[in-house]
Amino acid sequence: MPRRQSPLQSEMVQGTLDMLILQTLVLGPAHGQTIAHAIERGSEDVLQVEHGSLYPALHRLENRVWIAAFWGTSENNRRAKYYRLTREGKRQLAVQTSRWEQVVRAIGRILNPAVEKQG
Amino acid sequence: MNWRRFFRRDPSDAEQREELDFYLDVTAEEYIARGMTPDEARAAARRKLGNTTLIREEVYRMNTVTLLESAWRDARHALRMIRTKPGFSIPALLSLALGIGGNIAIFSVVNAVLIRPLPYPEPDALVGVFNSAVFERQPIHDMPLSLGMYHAYENGAQSFQDFGVWTAGAATITGAGDPEQIATVTMTNGVLPALGVRPYLGRWFSREDNAERAQETAILSYGYWQRRFGGDAHVVGRVVLIDFVPHQVIGVMPRTFQFLNLAPDVLLPQHLPDGPIRSDEFNHSGIARLKPGVTVNGANQDIARVLALWGGADDVRQVVEQLRFKPQLRPLKQDVVGDAGVVLRTLMGALALVLLLVCANVANLVQVRTQSRRREFAIRAALGAGWGRIARELLVESLTLGILGGALGLGFAYAGIRLLVADGSANLPRLAGISIDSASLLFALACSAASSLAFGSIAILKSGRTAAMQNARGASASSEQLRAQNALVVAQVGLALVLLIGAGLMIRSFLALRSVAPGFTHPEQIETVRILIPKAQIPEPERVVRMQADLVARLASIPGVAAAGFASGLPMELEYHNGNVVAVEGRTPVGQIPPNRTTKQVSPGLFAAQGTRLIVGRDFTWDDVFSQRRIAIVSENMAHENWGDPRDALGKRIRIGEGPWMEVVGVVENVHDDGVDRPAPPTVYLRAGIAAAQPGTPAAVRRSVTLAIRSNRAATESFLREITAAIHAVNPNLPLAKVRTLNDVYRGSMARTSFALVLLGIAGAMALTLAVVGVYGVLAYAVAQRRREMSIRVALGAEPGLVQALFVRQGLMLACAGGALGLCSAAALSRWISSLLFGVAPLDPLTYGVSGAIILAAAVTASYIPARRAASVDPMETLRSD
Repeated sequence: MPRRQSPLQSEMVQGTLDMLILQTLVLGPAHGQTIAHAIERGSEDVLQVEHGSLYPALHRLENRVWIAAFWGTSENNRRAKYYRLTREGKRQLAVQTSRWEQVVRAIGRILNPAVEKQG
Repeated sequence: MNWRRFFRRDPSDAEQREELDFYLDVTAEEYIARGMTPDEARAAARRKLGNTTLIREEVYRMNTVTLLESAWRDARHALRMIRTKPGFSIPALLSLALGIGGNIAIFSVVNAVLIRPLPYPEPDALVGVFNSAVFERQPIHDMPLSLGMYHAYENGAQSFQDFGVWTAGAATITGAGDPEQIATVTMTNGVLPALGVRPYLGRWFSREDNAERAQETAILSYGYWQRRFGGDAHVVGRVVLIDFVPHQVIGVMPRTFQFLNLAPDVLLPQHLPDGPIRSDEFNHSGIARLKPGVTVNGANQDIARVLALWGGADDVRQVVEQLRFKPQLRPLKQDVVGDAGVVLRTLMGALALVLLLVCANVANLVQVRTQSRRREFAIRAALGAGWGRIARELLVESLTLGILGGALGLGFAYAGIRLLVADGSANLPRLAGISIDSASLLFALACSAASSLAFGSIAILKSGRTAAMQNARGASASSEQLRAQNALVVAQVGLALVLLIGAGLMIRSFLALRSVAPGFTHPEQIETVRILIPKAQIPEPERVVRMQADLVARLASIPGVAAAGFASGLPMELEYHNGNVVAVEGRTPVGQIPPNRTTKQVSPGLFAAQGTRLIVGRDFTWDDVFSQRRIAIVSENMAHENWGDPRDALGKRIRIGEGPWMEVVGVVENVHDDGVDRPAPPTVYLRAGIAAAQPGTPAAVRRSVTLAIRSNRAATESFLREITAAIHAVNPNLPLAKVRTLNDVYRGSMARTSFALVLLGIAGAMALTLAVVGVYGVLAYAVAQRRREMSIRVALGAEPGLVQALFVRQGLMLACAGGALGLCSAAALSRWISSLLFGVAPLDPLTYGVSGAIILAAAVTASYIPARRAASVDPMETLRSD
């Protein structure tokens, strides 16, 4: 089936989505729709969450016990599946954030000289 | 992977769907709030979420063990294949079910009879204590002990932890309710401790209970306690009349207690004289529990020492020297199981052969099917399916077939065992314990798995080769394919022939047994009843004789009774066998112990009732009985052995041991008293009534006899009622035991042979069918393969008859090769069953010839149909269609 592809989405590496989900949940439990919204709003709609990968990702994180799921009642009084961060999830978030920053710094160091050459 | 979710994948999928639905609803609501119409909002939300099924599938897959999942898929595929291809699966499943079922059934029997330990603690330490002796140059290996020996062993043996002797018997219980004959075991105090089974209530016998003038005691079986005393908790201390003597109940055995092969209602103590033991009848079976670490061999040496010491005493030295006693201890289990092992092992072997045949057959079927799926495999291999993938699928298919077949077989086995136990005519020890237990289930599983692997691996090898060749069209594999199939069919025919020969030998044995003149006629018309006139009720021997005479007179006057009489034991009633040393005047050397002979006390009229022919002389009369004449009747072979001609026996004299001489007044035909499969023993018939006593001993009379009543109304209910009425008219206190016809006893003596015959017959028939199917399958396949060739031949003018002969010849060649294989194997194997055979040699040419002919005929018939089909091909049609 044809997928709507935005350039940023296709580049969103698997680990990134996981990290963003974890980061969203730091603020408190949320259901899938809120998580997607939070990521999109937080990135000022630069990052579009592909829902085809959001739910499998949630499932994967749950299997790794980084997040835990429970059934709760939503704002409009419906049964909804909420996710919250586990202790292991918090630790993983810290690990992944620092690794991400390392990667970003490393990429920056590579990109900046190139910019200088061009300039 | 989450195991919990793996097993709850469908509920968790439903949750996933709910979660996604929730997303859709919430997002749609948001869009509505922004001003979209509900339909638009919903569509937009759907677009945003993407394909929900894909998401669910991805999550579902995350919860899955791939290997297990695909195995399950393969199994489902296999089940579908089994359902949709009945032409392949029904014969395969049925033959597997029969083959595996038969094996499970026999295994369950073998397990219960041979393998399962005896139901006593540490059963390996239990031994049966017997002696071997030499009688008439004939070695006897299970000579029971005398009380004197018991005394010597009890005091002298160092290897026994516990030791005792026992005899089985019967007694009458009177008092409350009808008189009843019960089975008893009389034992010394060491027997129960040796078995190690504590009573459920009360206590074991003590040494004091064995004393000569002790208060009479009894231990009840659980069943008898429930039946007669309603499970009265205060039964210990109560008094029951056993043979009209008050016995105090001292205990009740637990429900699970079995005494070896017997089911006694009451256990009684064996009384031992205070002084030296004089009476030396060798009729006490011994049981001992060996001390820890003592082997049977060690115990035998120990007892040999004790025996030598005992044999040195003056009063027994002569007996010991003549009989050459040697201790013969053996594991108790061997005692219980007896010679049932030979039959069972033979049947187990036969059914294992059947299972092999079944496997060969199913392998053939699978192979033919694989052949027809060659294109499928080749295409799949071309599309990238690895050999492992296809092999796994075939393996799962075979396992599914095997397990299904095994499950069906379990059903067959269950039904078969129920039949066997309910019928009871197989005459097996420990029969009641036969059931399908966890061991049988494991065996069933192993059988299924092993046979699946056997025929599955053939299919895999085949498919592997074809896949490697990757030829989607080629017919070039056919010759190789045929060679493999031919080999299987040759093996099948060979196996079938082995089983047919086995069945044939059993049929010949059975016919030989049936044709033995047993020494009585029409046993189904001889009603038998065992009665016992207790000493406590009628002490005087003379009155006992009168009463027995009255009984016979009354029974003979029942309408429809041709003759009536009684004997101490009827033919083949092994439990009432009796033997005595019989000296023949002028022939037995003085000072030597004369040979032991079967002796029976018989009443006038017994021979007529039994249908035993009087060859010369006369029968006993009641006048002989009442006037205590010293006369005897001998069997024909006894007369022949001693005097040459039966007529010369009349007037000659014989005696029991040192007793008074008795004149032979008649000679009767031989009776196969030990069973039809054993030679008729030379027999001496003593007249009923008060015995010609040994000097110095009081007059004695046999109180326990079996009545024989010949009538064509035998075994009908009205007849039994009249018999009971007649007996109770003479003495209302007499219980009737062993009410049956002589035919039951007669059939019982052939039970083992007929059991083996029926099962081997079934195995043989199955084998024949399987072999025929095998031959047919191979030829049908060959015909299909060579259809083009045949068309060309016919088109070129070959006679259809010639084409037909070509295939029949091929079938014949296969059958001949298989037949030769089968004959050789049967000749090698048949000595294993030689102990089951009677009146036929293990290499009986007739059986071998007929079985071979049957196999050949079956093979030719099986090849005829495909051959005719080959001959009737229409060349034009065939050549066009390809």
